Amino acid sequence: MSTAMEAMFAGRIHQDGHALRRTTLRHTNLTDPALGICLWRLGGERFRAAAVAWGPIGGPYKLAVAGEPRNRDLYFSALLPFAADLCKRIRRVAATQVARQRGRHTDYLPADALQIVVPNRTTVAALGLLGRYLAYLSDRGGVAPDPALVEAGKHLRFYARHARVPGQALLVPLDRLLAEHWATLLSPFEQANLAAVDAQIDPPRGVHAFDSGFAAEASARIGPEPTEDIDRITDELLARFNEARGGATEPATIGPLIAPIEAHYRRLVDPVWALMARVVDRERALPAAPSVPRRFEVDREAFGRRVDWVTGGGRYRTTDTPRQAAMTLRRLEEPLARYEAEKAIEDPAAMVPYLLDGEAVRGVVASLNDQYRVRFRVKAVRRAIIALDTDDPVILPLGKKLWWTATAHDHHWEVQDVTANGAGSRITLMLYAAPTPARLPGVGDRITFSVLHTSSDGYRLPPPQNPPWTHTSAAPPAPPEPIDAGDGDPPAAAVDGATLPDPGVYA
Amino acid sequence: MHACPTAAVAFAARVDTNRVLTGTTLEMPFGQSPFAIGRGVAFEALLRRHGHAELRRVLTEGLGVDFSQAGIENLREGYQPNTTGLKLRASVTRSRMAEIIASPAEPVVLDGAVLRADVGGLPAFFEADEMAIGVGGEIVVGENKSWPVVDGRPTDEDALGSALDQAATYVLLGRRTLDDAGVDPDRVSSNAVLVTPRNTGLTAVLHRQNVDGRVRRIERLLSAVPHVADIATSVPADVTFDVAADTSLPEQERVDAFAEVSDRLGRVYEPASCLSSCGFAWACRQCAFATGDPALSGGVVARALPGVVSLSRVAELSHGAPASAVEAPVAGPLARAGRLYDEAVPVPAPRRRRPA
Repeated sequence: MSTAMEAMFAGRIHQDGHALRRTTLRHTNLTDPALGICLWRLGGERFRAAAVAWGPIGGPYKLAVAGEPRNRDLYFSALLPFAADLCKRIRRVAATQVARQRGRHTDYLPADALQIVVPNRTTVAALGLLGRYLAYLSDRGGVAPDPALVEAGKHLRFYARHARVPGQALLVPLDRLLAEHWATLLSPFEQANLAAVDAQIDPPRGVHAFDSGFAAEASARIGPEPTEDIDRITDELLARFNEARGGATEPATIGPLIAPIEAHYRRLVDPVWALMARVVDRERALPAAPSVPRRFEVDREAFGRRVDWVTGGGRYRTTDTPRQAAMTLRRLEEPLARYEAEKAIEDPAAMVPYLLDGEAVRGVVASLNDQYRVRFRVKAVRRAIIALDTDDPVILPLGKKLWWTATAHDHHWEVQDVTANGAGSRITLMLYAAPTPARLPGVGDRITFSVLHTSSDGYRLPPPQNPPWTHTSAAPPAPPEPIDAGDGDPPAAAVDGATLPDPGVYA
Repeated sequence: MHACPTAAVAFAARVDTNRVLTGTTLEMPFGQSPFAIGRGVAFEALLRRHGHAELRRVLTEGLGVDFSQAGIENLREGYQPNTTGLKLRASVTRSRMAEIIASPAEPVVLDGAVLRADVGGLPAFFEADEMAIGVGGEIVVGENKSWPVVDGRPTDEDALGSALDQAATYVLLGRRTLDDAGVDPDRVSSNAVLVTPRNTGLTAVLHRQNVDGRVRRIERLLSAVPHVADIATSVPADVTFDVAADTSLPEQERVDAFAEVSDRLGRVYEPASCLSSCGFAWACRQCAFATGDPALSGGVVARALPGVVSLSRVAELSHGAPASAVEAPVAGPLARAGRLYDEAVPVPAPRRRRPA
């Protein structure tokens, strides 16, 4: 992040009254239509989805409302249609496979993957917790939980974990998507409110982005964590519901009683659903960056592998071993570096921060010598030398490795010399590979070099099977276990904060 | 606890920042779900039920010391719910802590211990959930939280950070309390205890975490709080929050009154900390927008713009306006940022806006 860039954005947005694009391309795959999920929890209850809405983005949604989500029977009964539908969609998408040829090896991966779109990162975390809860359920009273709940739990857990992979598009939190694509007057803390970000991007006519964002922030409720005003209403409705059902959990009794709670959550979901559709529509209109299909292929591969494993009854650890943790870290770091590189190389707007921070240089090729010879060990080899005249003065150490953005997947160039040249600098660079036409710019071309590249840094050996004692815990991590003990306990009574001397202690 | 003059004056004058702008559109929505509060109350009640049986179990399992026969003194009961009660509880806490260090034979738990601190020269009282004392004569600070831990990880990392900050504050104040009593302050352990529910139920589990780094940070923060006496001498006598807090007045009058007061006193708006804790945050943000304060977009932007007075000026400089001598260090990068951005992003066509 370039501070000059952020300051420039803040100044111009304040002056112009609307948000500015950070990118000229869309760097996230958006399928049409993705599956939207909008969740509302009961306050403070991390595992209790009081309402789940799901359906195609831009289309109608289905709503699952438990009534009393702290009652296991009611909760699972309400979640079942959602779980079954999710499993069905995932299996259906994974069923169509295409062959992929890599050298002499052919593998098969799903032709598509089910993309899930949620309003914010908090919903990603909420789905992950819900997935953890459902993925390993214990029997209750000798009755095994419905397999669809368990399978859906495992899928949700995978989606939430995969959401950490930079550039992935299996689970897209829209607040993050907007923060990557737009600059607003909102600080990172405030960008968690999707409605406020959207209102700054597209304020009503004659309204400044700040005022529009503030109005949205003050009035919009996005979830999944409810605000006080929402749960005051929920509390009243729930009290009436629980009194009327008198402990009953049968659908025949519950059905007629649940309508007011359902209507309450429908009022909350409707605006969020419309907001999600509007945001996705706007971002989808932007052309996709060239690397988007490659990243989605990686997603499809992970999706296919996971679905095969889960539908075959496979289990995953809930706590990584030290070796797994090291491998996970690497799996997250490498995509991050590549994602950042691809974004900046393909998108001129995303390259600007690197130019400002001195990690990239742009200029006109003043001369090219592709017959230059250097002695490499024992024999002289042909190399290419170019002189690049930059618009701005640059400071680069000799020997610095840079990649031309047109060949960022290929060999690097090295800085041989930097001299002052009018208002800018003249940089002499040498290509560290045999000069071929594809590797060489033309004289007079305006080109960009940067520290970013998309080639692999080499094959990395897997970590040893037996980690050294410094990375070995005293006890191996516990195998996956149910976490539902106590979920059938009587729910805690709601407490009005106004009746407490210091309600802040429960924040 | 930061360097905002408006917040400091409100603190010195014992003004509740959450109430000043009540009823206006700038009132901060800090209210909590009754279910969330109910969960917190229920978890604490569970720990205290049947003679603190659950608390004894979790301390025994977590600290490796038998607390089944420990003396547990509940300082929440038997004292008035006011400043007098807090003073008495702080006094009892202090003497009990000294006694425990002097005779460390049996484990003891002070439930609802109150620690006194001077914040900006004013007395303030902090209530710790538990101060558990092990048989070794070491005092271990404990805090209860109702968010669950699953697979050894918190379900809310921000909440974990806040809870550890809270525990670190008690460690610091506990050490000061012992120091005042002439006892070695290092007898308060650096390893604080968090008691949280495990998994989906409310079964308690104990976690220990070293909070030394946080203790040092909180010590710095507390020492940076401006002294009330200094504030009192520097604040004009006619500065008051009364007009802003007067609910009988029209909203605009109250908001204007607040803006005038904060303009006179000065403010330090920092989105992340202000919006999560200060009742003036939205009002200060509004003032920051009105004046084009670079702090509006966060500390990173504000710190990048020394010498530039407003966001409007930032915009001008980004379009290549001539800079003054003070602005010169940042004018170059801003102009370059603007030029490169204009090259990269073509001027958009007029957008179809939503109707107002």
